[in-house]
Amino acid sequence: MSTAPSSAADLAGHRARRIGLAGIAVALAVVVGFPLFDLLRTAVDALDDGGGQALRSGGGAAVWNSVWTGAAATALAMVIGVAGALLTERVGGPGTGALRIGMMLPLLVPPFVTALGWTRAFGPGGLSDDTFGLTLPGLIGPAGIVVVTAVHVAPLVYAVAAAALATRARPELEWAARASGAGPVTAFAQMTGPLLTPALLGGGALAFVASVNSFGIPAVLGIPAGFPTITTRIYQDLARSAEPAAFSRVVVLATTLLIIAVAAVAAGDAATRRGIPPRPGASHEPARTGRRGRRASAAAWTYLVVAAALPVAALVLTGLTKAVGLPATPGNWTLANFGEALGSDVWGPAGRSLLLAAAAATIATVLGIVLAVVSRRGATRGFATAAALTFAVPGSALAVAVLLAWGPWLRDTLLIILLAYLAKFWALAHRTVDGSVGSLDADVIHAGRASGAGPYAVTRRILLPLLRPAVAAAWLLVFLFGLHELTMSSLLYGPGTDTLAVVTLNVQQLGDITVTSSLAVLLTVPGVLAAVPLLRRRSRR
Amino acid sequence: MNRRILGFLLPPALIAAGCGGAGDADTVVVYTSVTQETVDAVVAGFEQANPGVSVDVFRAPTGELTARIAAEQREGGVRADVLWLTDPLSMQAYDAEGALRSWDPDGADAIDPAFRSDTFWGTRILNLVIVANPGLDPAPASWSDLAAVPGGVAIPDPGFAGSAFASLAFFALTDGYGMDFFRDLRTAGAVQVGTPGDVVTGVAEDQYAAGITLDFSARAAAEKGSPIEVIWPEPGAIALYSPIAVWDESDSAAAEDFVQHVLTEEAQAAIAATGWQPILASVPWEESGPQVTLDWTIAFDRQQELLDEYRAIFGG
Repeated sequence: MSTAPSSAADLAGHRARRIGLAGIAVALAVVVGFPLFDLLRTAVDALDDGGGQALRSGGGAAVWNSVWTGAAATALAMVIGVAGALLTERVGGPGTGALRIGMMLPLLVPPFVTALGWTRAFGPGGLSDDTFGLTLPGLIGPAGIVVVTAVHVAPLVYAVAAAALATRARPELEWAARASGAGPVTAFAQMTGPLLTPALLGGGALAFVASVNSFGIPAVLGIPAGFPTITTRIYQDLARSAEPAAFSRVVVLATTLLIIAVAAVAAGDAATRRGIPPRPGASHEPARTGRRGRRASAAAWTYLVVAAALPVAALVLTGLTKAVGLPATPGNWTLANFGEALGSDVWGPAGRSLLLAAAAATIATVLGIVLAVVSRRGATRGFATAAALTFAVPGSALAVAVLLAWGPWLRDTLLIILLAYLAKFWALAHRTVDGSVGSLDADVIHAGRASGAGPYAVTRRILLPLLRPAVAAAWLLVFLFGLHELTMSSLLYGPGTDTLAVVTLNVQQLGDITVTSSLAVLLTVPGVLAAVPLLRRRSRR
Repeated sequence: MNRRILGFLLPPALIAAGCGGAGDADTVVVYTSVTQETVDAVVAGFEQANPGVSVDVFRAPTGELTARIAAEQREGGVRADVLWLTDPLSMQAYDAEGALRSWDPDGADAIDPAFRSDTFWGTRILNLVIVANPGLDPAPASWSDLAAVPGGVAIPDPGFAGSAFASLAFFALTDGYGMDFFRDLRTAGAVQVGTPGDVVTGVAEDQYAAGITLDFSARAAAEKGSPIEVIWPEPGAIALYSPIAVWDESDSAAAEDFVQHVLTEEAQAAIAATGWQPILASVPWEESGPQVTLDWTIAFDRQQELLDEYRAIFGG
């Protein structure tokens, strides 16, 4: 058991730690415990009502499909994420800062947008089909689900791997191995690999959970192939949930997904715990770049262009085209689809969306930091796992859970949407700051305290500046996810609390691909553009 | 830290408190899955005709809407006064629970008896038709011709959209088609896509030569210039209706007025102006042809069974 990462908690002192723990316990009860309790209670009732039938009649196949595509996508995401991290943290060279930002961007594109973009870029009738007559075989179907999901969740692995390489790796061990005659690959695999594995397992668990709870990707790529997953099954049952039996199946399937996720997160967290503590104050000097470095860097940029930029560009083209089926040539361009996607009265809902996303981002980040500080030792580590539970539940089912729990008091208020956002995004904020909190240098803090600074001064003058990049990233991530969020707010809003997502979803429900693409672009591009400068500051840390 | 949390929680809470409560006599809460433009047009007409009465609309896709009602039924009670849905099957479920008010709205007699019951009434008609590539020769003239289209056709997933389920139920339960209709389509290479809108996209992009979709989606794309053709097949388009009802527990005095307003010629003309076939035959409507329909109560009783049989053929 490691004790080193407890520095932040030491700083806080016992009283502050107790207050922090109490706050986290209350927050967990409000945003995680109560909704999940009501969901489980309903699921138990549902099992009595014959909801167990959900796992027969094709539901079992859906569970298996989710698990295996999730595992395959995670494996692929680990390869992409680790390769990217080695490139930016080890190989380095010119353009590394930009590449660090680029590696994070695919996460900021909502999953259904990524999937839709891939079909518009590489599917039948898409960009590559129109230009070269080429389509990607297997895009519609399990293979496509695995690849596109991997692209979407790879940044989660990349972030963990890059942080671990920066703070946990011990290049001197590798140098020693090299000096003793080991090749570069052997040296890395035997010396640095074991140091990174625990952190990577943690990142992989998060990527797996994000994969199995994704609805947008299997909805776009799985349905046409007759390939059901838990999330598409939940949505199909939801569509017929006027029938009590269908609603029972929704809660039973959501609970199944929750159990799968609990297992993955708990296993990942346990692996992280066994890990080697980060090396405080580690420097990460990239090695000099040779021709191989430049080639690797070119490969990384090619990946980003093909996997992320082209699909979004294809969506922009589709959105600009007057009508579906016309060639996307300038003569057929129009902005009318963007107007239709925005609908008429957007400013009120847009303001509410900004307020909600900002509030959720701020609270989730604060809760994430406090959780990261108080959950570094002993039994309280379980708190960190608990906060990730609601992340695993798909949005539609989580909204139902929140409505079951808090609806009697908070129905139709912005507060209930905020609670749902916190339930969904707390883990995201927590896991983004967790690594940085863990790597805080105890010596720096002790030095501050020894020089007479009180806890407040140490926090403000030493800790916050050290944490700022991670905090900014966590805030931004939750803010953008809140802005994108479609399902939960469309289920929870009430008179006067409709959000941007509700308005846009209402307009695009007719299924016109040109309008849907415009909507996807409007939801994605401004957020990504706003994110670049913030991420840039972070990568200059 | 706690004060900061409070600071961020308070503003939304205050905004929420300012939004006013529900249940007062001159407010009607409408839960609907009908397209926004159509709801807006009808609500505007109602509020103009009934000064002092305001309408609160909760609009969401069918799945989100019914899930919300299911959650509300379990905790705290359903807040809706009026329910206005896209297809009769979901409404049937509430009727079976006795959640809908049985009454006699003015103007209901003018509705074709196939499109109404004692507790809910049709407000507009959705037609399932064939959308085809204009170059397709010979163009399919009847539903049965679809199995002969080279390369296979696109059909919407009945698990996703109520209208798509209606086509499944119609063929499965109508003499001369049956599940063999889908088996033949599958053998001929038919592909299941997501929604009726996805069918239009696939045909417009020439991925499929033809498909089954809603006349509304196909017409909207054709009007924008998509290279598609809308075919009104023999023996007729499959007609289903978008029903409206009063939630029985509602204490809103104006709920019944709202339903009656939707059935007036004025509201029906507003619905027609947004692109949907009005339920009243007296309101002018050009884009029609022969129609076939089904007793949807029978389809309702066999939903799961039909879906299971269908999935055995198409997967999903």
